[in-house]
Amino acid sequence: MATTASFIIVSRNDIPIYEAEVGSATKREDAAQLHQFVLHAALDIVQDLAWTTSAMFLKNIDRFNDLVVSVYVTAGHTRLMLLHDSRNDDGIKSFFQEVHELYIKVNFLQLGCSVHVLVFHLSIVEKN
Amino acid sequence: MEPDVSIETSCMIRIAVLPVGTVPASVLRDYFSMFLRHHTIPLAAISSFYTEHQKSPFAHQPWDAGSIRFKFLLGGAPPSPWEDFQSNRKILAVIGICHCPSTPDLDSAVEQFTAACKNYSSALVQRCFAFCPCDSQLEDGGKKEDVLRLFPPADHQTLDIHLQTMMQEIAASLLMDFEKWVLKAESAGTILKTPLDSQASLSSEEVLKAKKRRLGRAQKTIGDYCLLAGSPVDASAHYSTALELARLTGDFFWYAGALEGSVCALLMDRVGHVDVVLEDEVKYQYNNVILHYRKSFIQDNAQRVSPLSFELEATLKLARFLCSGTDDTAFKSSYLCRSKLSKDVVELLTNAADGGKSLIDVNDRLVLFVEIARLFGTLGYQRKAAFFSRQVAQLYLQQDNKFAATSAMQVLAMTTKAYRVQSKASVSDPPCTKKQTGPSHTDSGKMHHHLIVSLFESQWSTLQMVVLREILLSAVRAGDPLTAWSAAARLLRQYYPLITPAGQNGLASALNNSAERLPSGTRSADPALPFVRLHSFPLHPSQMDIIKRSPAREDWWAGSAPSGPFIYTPFSKGEPNDNSKQELVWIVGEPVQVLVELANPCAFDLRVDSMYLTVHSGSFDAFPISVDLPPNSSKVITLSGIPTSVGPITIPGCTVHCFGVITEHHFRDVDNLLLGAAQGLVLSDPFRSCGSAKLRNLSVPSISVVPPLPLLVSHVVGGDGAIILYEGEIRDIWISLANAGTVPVEQAHISLSGKNQDSIISIPYETLKSVLPLKPGAEVILPLTLKAWQLGPMDFEIGGGRAATSGSTGRQFKNASVPTLLIHYAGPSTDSEDATIAKVSNLPPGRRLVLPLHVCVLPGMSLVKARLLSMEIPAHIGDGHPKPVHEEEDPASETVEESDRKMEKRLVKIDPYRGSWGLRFLELELSNPTDVVFEIGVSVQLDGTDDNNLPIDQDGNSEYGYPKTRIDRDYSARVLIPLEHFKLPVLDDSFFMREFCNEGSTSSSRSPSFSEKNTKAELNASIKSLISRIKVRWQSGRNSSGELNIKDAVHTALQTSVMDVLLPDPLTFGFRLTRDNSSPQQESGSKDSVLANDMAPMEVLVRNNTKEMIKMSLGISCRDVAGENCIEGGKSTVLWAGVLNGITMEVPPLQESKHSFSLYFLVPGEYTLVAAAVIEDANDVLRARAKTDSPDEPIYCRGPPFHVRVLGTA
Repeated sequence: MATTASFIIVSRNDIPIYEAEVGSATKREDAAQLHQFVLHAALDIVQDLAWTTSAMFLKNIDRFNDLVVSVYVTAGHTRLMLLHDSRNDDGIKSFFQEVHELYIKVNFLQLGCSVHVLVFHLSIVEKN
Repeated sequence: MEPDVSIETSCMIRIAVLPVGTVPASVLRDYFSMFLRHHTIPLAAISSFYTEHQKSPFAHQPWDAGSIRFKFLLGGAPPSPWEDFQSNRKILAVIGICHCPSTPDLDSAVEQFTAACKNYSSALVQRCFAFCPCDSQLEDGGKKEDVLRLFPPADHQTLDIHLQTMMQEIAASLLMDFEKWVLKAESAGTILKTPLDSQASLSSEEVLKAKKRRLGRAQKTIGDYCLLAGSPVDASAHYSTALELARLTGDFFWYAGALEGSVCALLMDRVGHVDVVLEDEVKYQYNNVILHYRKSFIQDNAQRVSPLSFELEATLKLARFLCSGTDDTAFKSSYLCRSKLSKDVVELLTNAADGGKSLIDVNDRLVLFVEIARLFGTLGYQRKAAFFSRQVAQLYLQQDNKFAATSAMQVLAMTTKAYRVQSKASVSDPPCTKKQTGPSHTDSGKMHHHLIVSLFESQWSTLQMVVLREILLSAVRAGDPLTAWSAAARLLRQYYPLITPAGQNGLASALNNSAERLPSGTRSADPALPFVRLHSFPLHPSQMDIIKRSPAREDWWAGSAPSGPFIYTPFSKGEPNDNSKQELVWIVGEPVQVLVELANPCAFDLRVDSMYLTVHSGSFDAFPISVDLPPNSSKVITLSGIPTSVGPITIPGCTVHCFGVITEHHFRDVDNLLLGAAQGLVLSDPFRSCGSAKLRNLSVPSISVVPPLPLLVSHVVGGDGAIILYEGEIRDIWISLANAGTVPVEQAHISLSGKNQDSIISIPYETLKSVLPLKPGAEVILPLTLKAWQLGPMDFEIGGGRAATSGSTGRQFKNASVPTLLIHYAGPSTDSEDATIAKVSNLPPGRRLVLPLHVCVLPGMSLVKARLLSMEIPAHIGDGHPKPVHEEEDPASETVEESDRKMEKRLVKIDPYRGSWGLRFLELELSNPTDVVFEIGVSVQLDGTDDNNLPIDQDGNSEYGYPKTRIDRDYSARVLIPLEHFKLPVLDDSFFMREFCNEGSTSSSRSPSFSEKNTKAELNASIKSLISRIKVRWQSGRNSSGELNIKDAVHTALQTSVMDVLLPDPLTFGFRLTRDNSSPQQESGSKDSVLANDMAPMEVLVRNNTKEMIKMSLGISCRDVAGENCIEGGKSTVLWAGVLNGITMEVPPLQESKHSFSLYFLVPGEYTLVAAAVIEDANDVLRARAKTDSPDEPIYCRGPPFHVRVLGTA
């Protein structure tokens, strides 16, 4: 989907509960750190923005250099955040919707059980 | 780019403030802060210094409301290439600061100042302010009036007014200079250039354009000066001209500049009246400004110079304007507007950040990011601010010098809050430590989930580790060992599970390296390792138990815990710390212990140099200890200390000296961490990863310290080891009690507890009472007599099992069954010296010394069986009838015989009912399972006191001792104890009452009368008294002696045969000779004998021992020595007269009946007469006595044999 992408799920309490580097570009540690920093900072923007719109998918809410942050806010205020470098809005939106569906399923089966998390992880990697 | 830009920057006059001579840094800072207060000078205030030389170009100068603004630059600034473009960038005045006490030579100071001013060619005013001159300097300085301004020593306020005046003077001078400049600029055109302008020569067509352009630029510059002079209306007029000209000539850069100026003029004009319309206007204009700056971008010189920085500055200016100047009205503060606004600001700042990529100068980018971070911070976007701060720090770190590293460190320190890795030193009042004191620690377990979540919120461990690592790196570079230590400590403590062992070692060495640069005894707010949690508060050893005294009672210990018969109640035993209401009492001057558990989850050896409990009140002397923790290990250690003053005490944690720095470890932090770990919020539980036990819910008791109490310590004289006794052994032991406290013991009381309390025969209550008060250091010895108890079957089993498997005789069960001596004692009841203590707890508590008597009872002599045996000796027939016992006992009738005979006589008695001699023995079968020899001595206590030759014991009762019996090991022996025997006088139904009732047979409705009960009780009492008189004592070796407990065994033995032994037969038979007293046949010497071949008249007496008439059929038989019946049969040797068989007889109750007959013995010798009867119509009592159930069965009574000696006549 994108050459560089970093996906993260942030819980209602602002705790990251899932992280994955999902880009096709070679993964570098400092880059991954930067991605996290950008995503962490973008939470401030989401925090204000989420309450101004009824949409769940907030596209391109923040950016740093070439990296763009898109967010999908669930009803429970869990935020699915994707850091990406290309602007394929439709693809990202459908990705979020699928992940959200998956997330609901896994959440239903209690996230924290390692098998489910593994399945979840594999599914997400597959979607990219 | 410049830092701290805003729209208003355009109207500020820059003044360089330079130190002249030597000015100490702190003094310079003081002086500079004085300047900062005078950044705005109202125009009205400067009129006294202002003289209008010509017609002022500032026609609309607002003299009443306007003002001139200064921007002070400490240390000045190099001239900017953009000075022509923005006049506010020029340094228009220079002020020197001279501190006279440190710069005595004013001349040289002035020279130095003049030289410094040469760098500021644009400066219109130069002044050197000399502060605190001495008198000579005052005189001296008066001559250099033009440049030097002296500030005579004065108080701060006076100095401030003086400085204000000086600043007004400078403002007036500047204003006059501006007027001059503007007049000159209007008349003669000035060449204004920027680095952007092309160096290429102009074509003829462009020359015309260039002239217009120059005019426009001049108008813009005049507008700038108008702004600086505080005349916004004039400025606006000039700017609008400039805009027009710039638009015509396509001078976009200057157009944007003029537009900026006009916005500034607009704001100045409307100062204090910002509304929505104005805000929209400003926003619109500034977007225009940004657009035009972007338009002015020329590709060909982009490498060399770019208007980008102006575009970014304009962006920042607008953002700052939107951030700051908006919340004037209620509408603006409404949420919707705020979020709209912040959206705008975020957009601007994001654009600015994007633009930062294209900035050529690194410093420009640094400034940009700093400003962006500041603006995000103003907006309340802490994470965004932290993100850009970190970018700033990274730019600093790229510079690779110490100052940049220091800056990086400081900037990163600001981000720690957003990333939640802040040092504890920076957290002034964290919510979780607010309730540091008191019982709050106890309710940590009940902390709500969301509170715990909030503690671990934002666990962005990757980011946190990166930030901490960068702080560590920058601190090391900046040479700040304490910050480096703290960062490394936080990193190691919080993220050790994510750090490789090599990384952990690296951090450990970073800690050690930092500590080497720190002075010893440095404290850090952030704890490193180990993790310390509270393990438990050991209860007082039983020797030191503290008991609350109830003041009203004599037995003050009663009613206080522990209640109930157990020393250790099952509730307190299982989990000694579970009780939430638990209170701990510590005593001034007595060492206390607290168990803490340490964990080192890292891969290196951890050495804790010293560690002790932290008590902030200072009323506690803690003893430091040092600990070594191997990698991945946990350890429970004991921390101790001595309370030094009375009152409540809290222990929030302990102080640890590890890695060269002293830190404080709060138990609460670790508790929260463990709580978080239990809920999966934290990476790892350090204790569990070290293999320690699961988290226990430990509640911290409230600890109070009480004044000194006495302290009794005890030991058994002769060694505290277990006293080994055989069952029944009696021994004296001595217990020594010493007062080891500092207060005398004034009250003391001994009581017993535990099992086998009756084994303590004597308790020295009086001995203890007599020595009170027991002074500190005094000692008392209490004698105690012990009698080893009987081992129960359980004990035997356990003991036997143990003995079989291991050689030792079970210590285990011994402890469970030992009796315990409880000594409750207390010091003086009132402490008159300290009234406050009395108020807190009106009575100092007492103490309890629990002294288990370590007695090990070994199985000794044991009683296998007890039996009652009886032996009958036939009576000789004689004249008299056997007398009843009481008559026989008549001492008057006794003849003088040998003492042993007498004894024999006492025991071998005629059974008055059976009419024969009977002897009763109690046979005790004893076995000796031990490996020592026992000697058994039986003694019977006699109730008569007439036997003077018998040993008399203390009780005044005489005893009769039988020869001792020796029982070798593993042998058993029988000991016969002759008994005086006794029977009841009457056989009636009272005895069988119980049996009838129990069996529920025929006559169960009968209720026992009072007398019947009495009889029964009498019987039992007599059995008891009999048993109690028999004592079996044993002795083994030289020391051991004791008494065998035979009571129960004898009781059982007697019970089983009690009917036979004790109850009288229903009928008593007796024979006697009936001969004339006058007959001369007494020469034979024995009145009991009869002569052969002579008629011997006899009578048989039948006595009815029941209360009812008995009808019977009596028969008499006579046998010879061989047992042959000599009355009947072919070889009968006895002839008879009268009826011998089938005599029908009726005997009234408790009466006797006689039946006479005569015998004629043919052959001399020994004969035996036996009477027997068959009772007819027997009642229930008789049947029960005969142990028969069927009513048809005849009841047969047989009398005892009577001997008849028949003498020959020859």
